[in-house]
Amino acid sequence: MLFRATRLKRLIGAVTAATMVTFVAACGSGEDASDGTVTLEFAQWWGAELPAGEFDKIINDFTTENPNIKVKLLSAPYASTKQQLLTGAASKTLPDVVGLDGAWVNDFAKQGAITDLSKLMTDANYDASELASQVQVDGKTYMIPVVNFVYPLFVNKDLLTKAGVPSTPTTRTEFLDAAKKISASGGDVKGWVLPLDTAVPNGVQNDVMSWLWASGGSMLADGKPNLTSAPVKSTIEYVKSLNDAGVIAPGSLTMKEQDKVEKFTNGQVGMMIDSLAHINLIKKNKPDLNFEVAALPAEDGFTGQRGIPYASWGIGISNSTKHKAEAFKFVSYLMSQQTNAKLSTIANGFPGNKTAEPDFGNSDPLFKTAFDIYQQGYPANEFVGLPKSEDLMRSFAEQLQLVLTGKSSVDDALAKSQENWSSVIE
Amino acid sequence: MATVKTRRTLAKAGVVTGLVIGGLFAGLPVLWLLSTSFKSNGEVFQNPPSLITEGFSFDAYRAILGNAAQLRFFLNSYIVAFAVTILTLLVAVLAGYAFSRFTFPFKKTINAMIVSVQAVPPITLVIPYFGLIVALGLYDTYLGLILTHMVFTLPYAIIMVTAYLNTLPRELDESVKVDGGSSWTALWRILVPTAVPGLIAVGVYTFMISWNEYLFALTLTRTDEMRTVPIGIQLLMGQHSYEWNQMMAMSVLGSIPVLLLFLFFQRRFIGGLTAGAVKA
Amino acid sequence: MTLTAPETSTRAAPAVPGRSRSTLARRLVPYGYLSPTVLLIVVLMVVPIVMVIGYSFRDNVIVQENSVFAGFANYTKVLTDESFLAALKNTGVFISVSTLAHLVLGLTFAMMLNSPLLGGVTKAIFRIVYILPWLFTIAVIAVIWRLLLDPAGVVNHVLQTLGLIQEGVNWFSDPGMALWAVTFVNIWAGYPFFMISLLAALQGIPNDLYEAAAVDGTNWFQRFFHVTLPQLRPVIISMAVLDLIWTSHQFALIWMTTGGGPLNATEMLSTFTYKQAFSEYEFATASAAAVIVLLLTMVLAFFYVRSQRER
Repeated sequence: MLFRATRLKRLIGAVTAATMVTFVAACGSGEDASDGTVTLEFAQWWGAELPAGEFDKIINDFTTENPNIKVKLLSAPYASTKQQLLTGAASKTLPDVVGLDGAWVNDFAKQGAITDLSKLMTDANYDASELASQVQVDGKTYMIPVVNFVYPLFVNKDLLTKAGVPSTPTTRTEFLDAAKKISASGGDVKGWVLPLDTAVPNGVQNDVMSWLWASGGSMLADGKPNLTSAPVKSTIEYVKSLNDAGVIAPGSLTMKEQDKVEKFTNGQVGMMIDSLAHINLIKKNKPDLNFEVAALPAEDGFTGQRGIPYASWGIGISNSTKHKAEAFKFVSYLMSQQTNAKLSTIANGFPGNKTAEPDFGNSDPLFKTAFDIYQQGYPANEFVGLPKSEDLMRSFAEQLQLVLTGKSSVDDALAKSQENWSSVIE
Repeated sequence: MATVKTRRTLAKAGVVTGLVIGGLFAGLPVLWLLSTSFKSNGEVFQNPPSLITEGFSFDAYRAILGNAAQLRFFLNSYIVAFAVTILTLLVAVLAGYAFSRFTFPFKKTINAMIVSVQAVPPITLVIPYFGLIVALGLYDTYLGLILTHMVFTLPYAIIMVTAYLNTLPRELDESVKVDGGSSWTALWRILVPTAVPGLIAVGVYTFMISWNEYLFALTLTRTDEMRTVPIGIQLLMGQHSYEWNQMMAMSVLGSIPVLLLFLFFQRRFIGGLTAGAVKA
Repeated sequence: MTLTAPETSTRAAPAVPGRSRSTLARRLVPYGYLSPTVLLIVVLMVVPIVMVIGYSFRDNVIVQENSVFAGFANYTKVLTDESFLAALKNTGVFISVSTLAHLVLGLTFAMMLNSPLLGGVTKAIFRIVYILPWLFTIAVIAVIWRLLLDPAGVVNHVLQTLGLIQEGVNWFSDPGMALWAVTFVNIWAGYPFFMISLLAALQGIPNDLYEAAAVDGTNWFQRFFHVTLPQLRPVIISMAVLDLIWTSHQFALIWMTTGGGPLNATEMLSTFTYKQAFSEYEFATASAAAVIVLLLTMVLAFFYVRSQRER
């Protein structure tokens, strides 16, 4: 019995010791060194999206230029980034510099989690005229888009030819017609794909509202929701007509963006609206897929400028950081002409600095096409900067699901959405 | 005699058929997972689907095993899960013993508290819990993660250990006390050795919970030096691309230690039967 | 360290004759055994829970610095919210069907794996196959089932090839099918928990009980209902309680397959709470929903504790 007891005691002792060691070891890491070097923590999901090691190179160039500033990259899975930032902000432990999506800005700004960049720009005498855009809340800048990803129409040319469609559709009527022909051309192939999953409801922005913006329409009027307007109605009725024609790939109601891309890549759908960032992925997975990008079809007879939806990798600075000046120095480095051009080239996006030219030399010719489309139209994403924008998209997605399953009329759904949105956007 | 034999054969055939059907239910999705880990990303959504594709390769495994950050995730998972398992078992055996063999004031209250604290959806606890861990200075440490996982595994472990101890006859420990031994002796010399199969089942499951836990492992760590395997897997699901094959390969690699653990301990499941410990 | 407390109190015992041992020390023994547990749970669990309860009575918590006392407003809001009531109903179906299926499958598989009719190697192989679903993190389980149950996925392909269905079924995106699809996946993912625990518990049933029953000339069913089940009862009750609670927490699986949709068909308390907290930034209502879940579970805990006493 005594033997047992001592053995157990030894075991407990060992476990305690091990625990203590890990504890002490873990506490060793961290905080600022005493020699005046500042360590900036930069939470983002970009590094994982870029070719391995490329982002580190860009960071290293910065730290070589600024030996007294160190940058520590913290990466989190994209799907959890927002939740992590929110949790960190609640305990004032937000990293110094944070990667942002335009859809989150309003909420983080209101929470007091991210700081007013306008003030930092003034303090640093920064020339903001180079910036392609700034995301503002109540007239103050909280996020700067670093790289923009536009969402053109992707068309599988082989499927189009097989279905007997002579050219890439440029109007809604042509698109419906092409989608019908592709869906009728056999196999399980469908004309279009619409991801309407409500967990990540960005399909509303990229695949539904994009139709509205492409025809110069707007879902807002003076910053207030305007969902019962004729342009919105015609957009939703158009999506419904595509659904009624049976040209949308099955599984729409819980489909996610990744599924959309995979279905297009595997030739199961003929056309999709998608981020340009996916070109390399598609080419890597199916090198012989014959596809092109084009401007989104507009309403018949529309001659104005077409809005082209986009999403951004944005950047912001924590409100609780002790190193705001250093953090802004890092931000302005990322926005500088040269760095921004380099970053957007490797990310397959368009630069957030107006004067930066992406290097088309080594990239796919489709990028040049897309860049031309981008320059002919204007970047349009009305969800950027709205409060609770993810929630707005979700409630709209739910109403649209009701329409597509025949449980609600377009008018009722839009009236309900208008009501939902009005209670959020004051 | 013949009829007895026929009936035995029939019964055996029945059991084997049942096992095969159940085995298909359990195993086929995992087979598909395994097959996906050998495909190229372009073939994952291939239509019609097929189990073995032209692009069959070990590339995904090479990518995971050649990445130091990913290997660090495995190391972290081992450290955390082993510490959690050992500590949980120790603490739970003590508590389970108290619930199983003693009557004392507030027993029911404490027991009900342990059962019901785990009822609060973890997602709502994240924010206050995170604040607490930061305040205790345990943010981004192994200890913080270990204690957190323990809080979530303990109620389960205590309930199960209590249940296993309850299946053991009281005469077992009474006999020790009659011989003048203390309750401490009775626990470690008689009850724990007898309950080994149950304890191993609890231990393996505790390990599993800790190994696969995602929400708190993500929230309570911020550097790659502290992150665990489930977060590594989730990092492969990016904004613009999913590394389907690597995700599956990492899961397969992640499942191997657990499988080995189970293989190693499964003798003890059967062992419990013949050990003859239960002679009430 | 707290772990040493019971040791000192009991180690002293053999030195003194049992009866004259201090009654106070003896009374404290069980608390000594419980002290590490209570310490951990109170510091790391009760404290945050109390904070959540606090949130549930305030307004604009976390997202604004000056939140105000709101009384029961959040509770009224949650209890009159249609999606909450739908979530409650879906969760009820989801957890009860899952737990029942886990129990039935787990017990069936455990009994088959424990059957004396089979050889050791056969059993060992099947044991491995049967624990496979257990080995994977829930995110991967969600992903693999999304691949399998995709409208153009392998399940539909096989069913169509066999001629069992004409058109591909939209397992996750058909509002009438989605809840059953996620429940099925959860059943697949969760039964090994029951199976392993019951397999271990089956080993603990003394053989002489069966021998005595066999002598009485009972058949298999009688032995099952009169020996096996009663012997397993404590383990089954404990597992059922745990499984009900855990299944009600199942978030990642639902979020990553259906996200609560389509048309709220798979909206659960977990997804509802998540949306409230991290999408609508209504931590107060999320907390109120959590407290309601806590109260519901306390009913369950009450029955559990009562079942413990009856023993």
